[in-house]
Amino acid sequence: MNRIKTLPKKIGTHNLALITINVVLIVVMASISPYFLTGANIEVILMGFVLEGIMAIGMTFVIISGGIDLSVSSVLPFAAIITGFMLKAGWPPFVAIIITLISSVLVGFFNASLKNILNVHPFIATLATMLTLRGLALAISSGANLSGFPESFFFLGQGRALGIPFPICVFIILALVMGLLLKKHRYFRQIYFIGYDPQAAKVSGMKVERFFLFVFGLSSGLAGLAGVLAASQYGAAHISFGIGSELRVITAVVIGGTSIVRGGSGTMFGTVLGVLFMAIIYNALVMSGISTYWQDVVNGIMLLAAIFFVEFMKNREKAVN
Amino acid sequence: MMGKQPILSLEKITKAFASNTVLNEVSMNVYPGSIHAVIGENGAGKSTLMKIIGGIYTKDSGEICIDGKSVTYTSPSQAIAAGISIVHQELSIAENLSVAHNVFCNREPINAFGFIREKELNRKVAAIFLKLGVDIDPKDRTANLSVAQQQLVEIAKAVSQNSRLIIMDEPTSSLSDKEVDYLYSIVDGLKAEGISIIFISHKLNEVFRVSDCISVLRDGNMIGTKETSETDMNEIISMMVGRHIDDLFPPKSTKITDEVIMEVSGYTKHGMFENVNFSLKKGEILGFSGLVGAGRTEVARAIFGADPIDAGELQLHGQKVKIKYPKTAIAKGLCYLTEDRKLLGLFQTTPVKWNIVSASLRNFVSIFGFYKKAKINAQSIEYLKKLDIRPFNDEIQVINLSGGNQQKVLLAKWLSADPKVLIVDEPTRGVDVGAKSQIHNLLRELSEAGIGVIVISSEQPEILGLCDRVLVFCEGKITKDFGNTAVTQEDIMKYASGVSLAENRGEKE
Repeated sequence: MNRIKTLPKKIGTHNLALITINVVLIVVMASISPYFLTGANIEVILMGFVLEGIMAIGMTFVIISGGIDLSVSSVLPFAAIITGFMLKAGWPPFVAIIITLISSVLVGFFNASLKNILNVHPFIATLATMLTLRGLALAISSGANLSGFPESFFFLGQGRALGIPFPICVFIILALVMGLLLKKHRYFRQIYFIGYDPQAAKVSGMKVERFFLFVFGLSSGLAGLAGVLAASQYGAAHISFGIGSELRVITAVVIGGTSIVRGGSGTMFGTVLGVLFMAIIYNALVMSGISTYWQDVVNGIMLLAAIFFVEFMKNREKAVN
Repeated sequence: MMGKQPILSLEKITKAFASNTVLNEVSMNVYPGSIHAVIGENGAGKSTLMKIIGGIYTKDSGEICIDGKSVTYTSPSQAIAAGISIVHQELSIAENLSVAHNVFCNREPINAFGFIREKELNRKVAAIFLKLGVDIDPKDRTANLSVAQQQLVEIAKAVSQNSRLIIMDEPTSSLSDKEVDYLYSIVDGLKAEGISIIFISHKLNEVFRVSDCISVLRDGNMIGTKETSETDMNEIISMMVGRHIDDLFPPKSTKITDEVIMEVSGYTKHGMFENVNFSLKKGEILGFSGLVGAGRTEVARAIFGADPIDAGELQLHGQKVKIKYPKTAIAKGLCYLTEDRKLLGLFQTTPVKWNIVSASLRNFVSIFGFYKKAKINAQSIEYLKKLDIRPFNDEIQVINLSGGNQQKVLLAKWLSADPKVLIVDEPTRGVDVGAKSQIHNLLRELSEAGIGVIVISSEQPEILGLCDRVLVFCEGKITKDFGNTAVTQEDIMKYASGVSLAENRGEKE
């Protein structure tokens, strides 16, 4: 009895609500469509949102730290395209991937520096980076589809480990490791102080600017990784990869209970639940035959609803106290 | 006490922001195990001095010695390492973390991989709380704590840093009487441990209750340090205010009538101000005195409709009016010049001209809603001349004007809205002497022309020199209406610092 009572306290009312909603969604979908709970469809559900999931891990850090990163949706195709070029030039995949990841992290450092040095709001800074990078990716690829990569590169996107598609393994491992660090590790945990009140964090002796470098570097780096995985999965690289994904990623994180209004709150567990929710919803939209044109409408409404819900719960909690 | 070596000694500390000297060769010694109060009026330089001691600001010149050794630090963490920590007035607690995490804010005990040892952390915090006599569960979420408890968390944080000197900046400003007593018992406990405390406050009765010695700052100068047992309230007050009032002010009104322009009765906003009553007569300038946070600005904002009230009634020229929004207030001829003109009063990057008409736009448009340019130009030129705003150019952005001229633009803005009552909040803050006197004369002219004028000011010479009648605010109440009697700065300070409240309480008991 005691254990049940403390359950909401342990995982939070928000996460509990999300779990319930996810379960209800799954039950409803399964009762409508007999195919829904088949192994093949579960794989489809997860693979359909796994790249956004990986980016959501970085985005969780960014939003808890009080920022936002719109550039992820351009880092993804940019990373795919430069990897593609290096592969076509005959470079070993390992080298190409490392160089791509480093470049992606540098993009994040650039975003953080705009904030640190020029005091530009991350929304504007990353918006500018998003447009620039997409343009750059378009210019160097001339809009063409790059393909014809070596066989050895395809494992990342198409291979399996223990029977599970490799990108999903990457997501699970990253979510576990980063979630553990966020919850338990001192260096990562300072994000809650910094996000809540960067000025106070500075006065308490934290190196706030350097931490922003890490946070934006992580977000961009993971978007770069998503780009590499995409190139491997599709065996091609194209500028259209990742269009609009920043919105899906942010929505997943916000649905997961991370406050976009004020930094300093949020959990990785919540983000994983948010990602799962989005994956199911997208799959449900496809299965129910609703036009893809409506997906952005659904996405926008969900984002607004999630923000409303998270802030409403927070204010109510405050009022109760 | 003098025989001991001071834990902290300051030698001729000087600090200026731009051309404004905030601290001028300030020297001070703090001895181990003593509670050292630092007091002064708003803007005397207390907070700046504390921020220099805490490593948040760097000094321009002078020397800081800890245990007799000269130190130079450039960041708060170095000050913390030297054993100095600040309990800030505005608390900096991350609400979503547990109490224990906030106490050890990024210094939590960790294992070899950097992971936090949660159990050891909670044990350590519990031990500190036990030592302080604080009853808070370290595992509680900080958001669930009261303000007083959050304050204790901050103090525990300082203790956990092994601080030997804790600076408390207005620690009691948001506490109830009972909580204040509790805080004092904790402060005494720290003292017994040999920890020194610098206690910043502007509540004199408090200072006399807790401190061992008192240092007084005034206009960035250290006026002196007294042993608390060897001084009294009057001496300290005269040290705090001790400047003379020069004849810079316009003559007092001779035309005060009995006609009441505005009557405020029973204004109440719980937690901010209680049962505020006053009337404003035609021809007089009414002064609101008191310390920052005493409720002066809050009352003015409520009258203006910027904040809602819980109870109260307002009459303008004998007629009852309900004002819920600033828009209604402006329409009824009630204008409020904000304290912070940068934040709330002026559009900094907009030309002077548009600022002047911004509160009365509907007088300058045709029936189709288009602007009447000629009328706007005529209006702005008129006020430029009338108020002697320099440079004489209504196209330049307000941000490029000096403080005094910005203040005049703000006045022009409200004058062009044709006010019946004008409330000015700190009308001459950051304004040079010449412009100051022009603004004072203008306020007098307006008052003689029949506009009701209320001046809110923390500068006592201004209150005494300019106003015909002074109301003193303290802790959300009007503690004194001086009527037409002669008033001194000492009188005001007595009522503003809560001495009178304490006396009243004493009488009741």
